[in-house]
Amino acid sequence: MVVDSYDILLYLAFASITYMTPVLLASLGEIIVERSGVVNIGVEGLLLASAFAATLVAIVTGNPLLGFASGALVGLLAGLIHGVLAVYLRADQIIAGLAFNMVAYGLTVMGLVSIWKHHGASPRVGVSLEEIEVAGYYVNPVSLASIALAILAWYTLTKTRVGLALRACGEDPRAAEAMGVDVSRYRVAATSIGGLLAGIGGAFLALEVVGQFTRGISAGRGFIALANVAFSGWNPLLAVPGAYIFGFLEALSIYMQQWALGYEYVARTLPYIGTLLVVTVFAWKAIVPRSLAKPYVKE
Amino acid sequence: MRLGSLENLRSQLLEVTLALVVGFVGGAIALTAFGHNALENIQVMISYGFRDLGYLLLKSAPIVLAALAFLVPLKAGLFNIGGEGQLYAGAITALLLSKVGFYLAIPAGALAGLLVGVAIGLLRVVRGVNEVVSSIMFNLTLYYLSMFAIQRYLLDPVYTHQSIRVDRVLSLPEVVAVMLLFPLAVYLLLYNTELGYRIRVAGSSSRVARYAGVNLNIVTIQSMAMGGFLAGLGGAIQVYGVTSVVDTTLSSLYGLGFLGIGVALIARGNPLAVIPAAILVSGLLIGSHWMELRGRVAPELADVVIGVVILALSAPYAYRVLTSRMGWGVGGG
Repeated sequence: MVVDSYDILLYLAFASITYMTPVLLASLGEIIVERSGVVNIGVEGLLLASAFAATLVAIVTGNPLLGFASGALVGLLAGLIHGVLAVYLRADQIIAGLAFNMVAYGLTVMGLVSIWKHHGASPRVGVSLEEIEVAGYYVNPVSLASIALAILAWYTLTKTRVGLALRACGEDPRAAEAMGVDVSRYRVAATSIGGLLAGIGGAFLALEVVGQFTRGISAGRGFIALANVAFSGWNPLLAVPGAYIFGFLEALSIYMQQWALGYEYVARTLPYIGTLLVVTVFAWKAIVPRSLAKPYVKE
Repeated sequence: MRLGSLENLRSQLLEVTLALVVGFVGGAIALTAFGHNALENIQVMISYGFRDLGYLLLKSAPIVLAALAFLVPLKAGLFNIGGEGQLYAGAITALLLSKVGFYLAIPAGALAGLLVGVAIGLLRVVRGVNEVVSSIMFNLTLYYLSMFAIQRYLLDPVYTHQSIRVDRVLSLPEVVAVMLLFPLAVYLLLYNTELGYRIRVAGSSSRVARYAGVNLNIVTIQSMAMGGFLAGLGGAIQVYGVTSVVDTTLSSLYGLGFLGIGVALIARGNPLAVIPAAILVSGLLIGSHWMELRGRVAPELADVVIGVVILALSAPYAYRVLTSRMGWGVGGG
């Protein structure tokens, strides 16, 4: 069999755009959260919970847009809860995030078994968004929107007053308060928006990438998004190539699983080893928001 | 966090008790939302979970080690979320070396866990890679590599859904001894040795550590090595003391590392309190499987309950507000 390697590369290059999207959306959300001075390592759980909600609603209503909306809503609410815990109750943000991941995993598996009587996967959703043709290949509109969103997030963070205020909350909350910024409100708003974006990412994962909900569907993507946030240096624009690298690794991994018979499990490690390599090679320090994960207590 | 004053202990016990109540309320809400009888299921979970004392203790031992694997680096200010992968590495290495003999296979498992821990520590020290992110990447990589190892090198020729069977060389008293001695050893190490002192100083704040002349990099590697060693040993003991086999989907190992994190947090970072916390958590785990058999509810209810407990414990400030408002007078500090 003759396989045209150029064709394969082009196929992978386009498939990567689909695979990168959940990671990109989650990364953009987390950049906004961390720029405000809060860290949410519950991204993995956000993806799980929103993927579940989106699948359920899309199956019941037959409408993928309603699926996306409910994924976004679940993400928003979960982000809001994390914000309230972190800001008003001064919770340990890492521990709260870890715990949220556990709760989300438990709840989604319980839901899977209770609603669909199955331990591994929901039925196929069967509906998805219509793709847009670009140069003979089809691209998901949400993938394109997420790239546009990266530009918008970059613009808002660096060029607008709201963005400046948000960054001030993450760098020096005392100074931000002196500027007349309500640090607590900004931070809770940031975790909510971050949750919303991750929620859209989770919905995309279930509805557009996998086509159903599966146990542990997020498969580390939330943590890969966290890696991507560090890789990007908290810059939404650089989160795009970062997410693309991951998307490519995943596309390659899935492609290799079809060929490397007997070595499927080894091929599956590719995105994780690749992510580890990327964060090891591109490890830049010192740009971390200075007040990250530190509760701000007003005098 | 030493045992310290009785007052302190009392307020911590109250915190954990309240958090457990919150956890079960969370579980009850989840059960009701998914159309199950909340009271009945939680009753089965609790009453069946603690019936067979021998089994309960046996199941607790690997969780105790997984908890210590998180606790030691935590004292140094590090989040070793990699206990899960270190535990896989320990279990699979010990299985691979079963022909050599358990007296070599079990320490080799611990050593494999140690190497994973050191790798995470080195990445942090040398390249500044966040240990939470690298830990998860190691967990997932080792998850698939372990399944690969079982499928390719360890498969039982008759029961092809699981690995070859090893002798359960550790008897119940031996497993219980491990479960009691290691928390004690970690306690003594943390509070009565120079190394333990340096670990605790490193965890208090990097500025204090610098003034005290503690090399943070070395402590990072040391505490991660210990954490990895403990988790690896936990994996080896899970095989040689509890299950004898590992199935091809790793279900006998999956989640133990994360439960260990939960146990360490419920124990409020106290190595000795890890023992009762692990018994509690493993009882819930056993109970959740009984619940599944009787009521067709996913045993992952245990994850929900434990997760909500930890969530509730993550904000001690909330308790201070609550207890002072209600006039219980356990302010704590």
